[in-house]
Amino acid sequence: MATEQKYTDLMNAAIDGEIGDVESAELQSYLDDSAEGRAMNEQLANLCSTLDRVEAEEPPPHLRHLIMSSLSPSKTAQESTGLLQTLLAAPVLKYAATFAAGVVLSLTLVNSGQISNTAFDDVTKLVGTVAKPVDTGLVSSVSINLADIAGTVSLRNTASMLILDFDLFAKRPIEIEADYTDRTIWFNGFAQLESSGTTVSAQAGKVTLAMQGKRRYAVYLHNEGGRNTTIRLRFLDGGEVVHEARLEYAPDK
Amino acid sequence: MSRTDDTKLIERCIEGDRQAFESLLVLYEKPVFNTALRMLNSRDDARDVTQTVFLKVFENFGSFDPSRRFFSWIYRITLNESITWLGKSKRLEPLQLEAVDEAKGPEQELQSANLSAGVQAALMTIKTDYRTVIVLKHFLGFSYSEISQILEIPEKKVKSRLYSARQLLKDALTRTGMH
Repeated sequence: MATEQKYTDLMNAAIDGEIGDVESAELQSYLDDSAEGRAMNEQLANLCSTLDRVEAEEPPPHLRHLIMSSLSPSKTAQESTGLLQTLLAAPVLKYAATFAAGVVLSLTLVNSGQISNTAFDDVTKLVGTVAKPVDTGLVSSVSINLADIAGTVSLRNTASMLILDFDLFAKRPIEIEADYTDRTIWFNGFAQLESSGTTVSAQAGKVTLAMQGKRRYAVYLHNEGGRNTTIRLRFLDGGEVVHEARLEYAPDK
Repeated sequence: MSRTDDTKLIERCIEGDRQAFESLLVLYEKPVFNTALRMLNSRDDARDVTQTVFLKVFENFGSFDPSRRFFSWIYRITLNESITWLGKSKRLEPLQLEAVDEAKGPEQELQSANLSAGVQAALMTIKTDYRTVIVLKHFLGFSYSEISQILEIPEKKVKSRLYSARQLLKDALTRTGMH
């Protein structure tokens, strides 16, 4: 004889802990008298036990960063400006920064972790150098959504400066090459928010960065006269190019 | 997390506080991802749905009714997005259930993976309405009342759907020798 629906429902409710005392007693009485009911109850308990033993999986490690990077500009504009204002002007946050004015045709190697403890702790001098152009405009932006690299790179401009704003997560150590077509543009500095460990090297027409993990940093390019340029980004993992993107600055168009 | 905490975070999110949004993301990322994963049976699809869910939440804070509980809102969005995704990828038809390989070794991890894969395969054989209640009850641990809020259906219907879903799932697992 099939188990009555009423008792099937009571078994389920009991398993879920959603049964009253009276109903519980009624169910127990039924189970005491019915071998079929006990067998069914055991099967149900086994099923629920099986389901409860399935472990939750961890989301992909870069997903959170990817989501935060994907928030709409209208909602993030305030935050993005805030970041650059922070990098350029606010002395209260810890960051590593260097401005290497006059780096033309020379190779500069900068380890941000070292710099943060030495010459650039006094950020007010930094403010004195470049605090005016905090009113930056977003020129263009690219998103990266690879298995091991995710985030955005944005190009902003202000009076005589182009700013590459990197907001990235990389599972493994990667290099990013930023080539700019106009060789009269020169590397003017680097700033990093709340982290260290990004290595920057600059030469004529090209900046190379090495990083791993979650990083937010900016590269400053001096662009006197606001000349047109295209910045080509190449992401390298183990020396191999895994992604390419372009950011264009063309105020004349 | 308490409703009060959720409410405070949401109020800050509405004001454009990204840090508050990231806090919500930290709290809900894993359960939302796992909900989508159980509904879709694909980590890639679950990742995309999770991203879509949080972007929708972020964009629609203005329309969120504070009298409702946040979890019911976000999980409803997650389930709707998952079902929409299933429709797009033409996976509405139940999949063929194949016997699950027995564990090749004694490693607990492998057994756990096989258990997960077996249950997931069985889940994919039942209709999305049934799968939904199983996911909410067993993988997210919601009560009848909470499931009722999320799905916006009476508790009585939650119970009958859940009990039927369990029977179907038990049959599916029995066919694979897992139950």
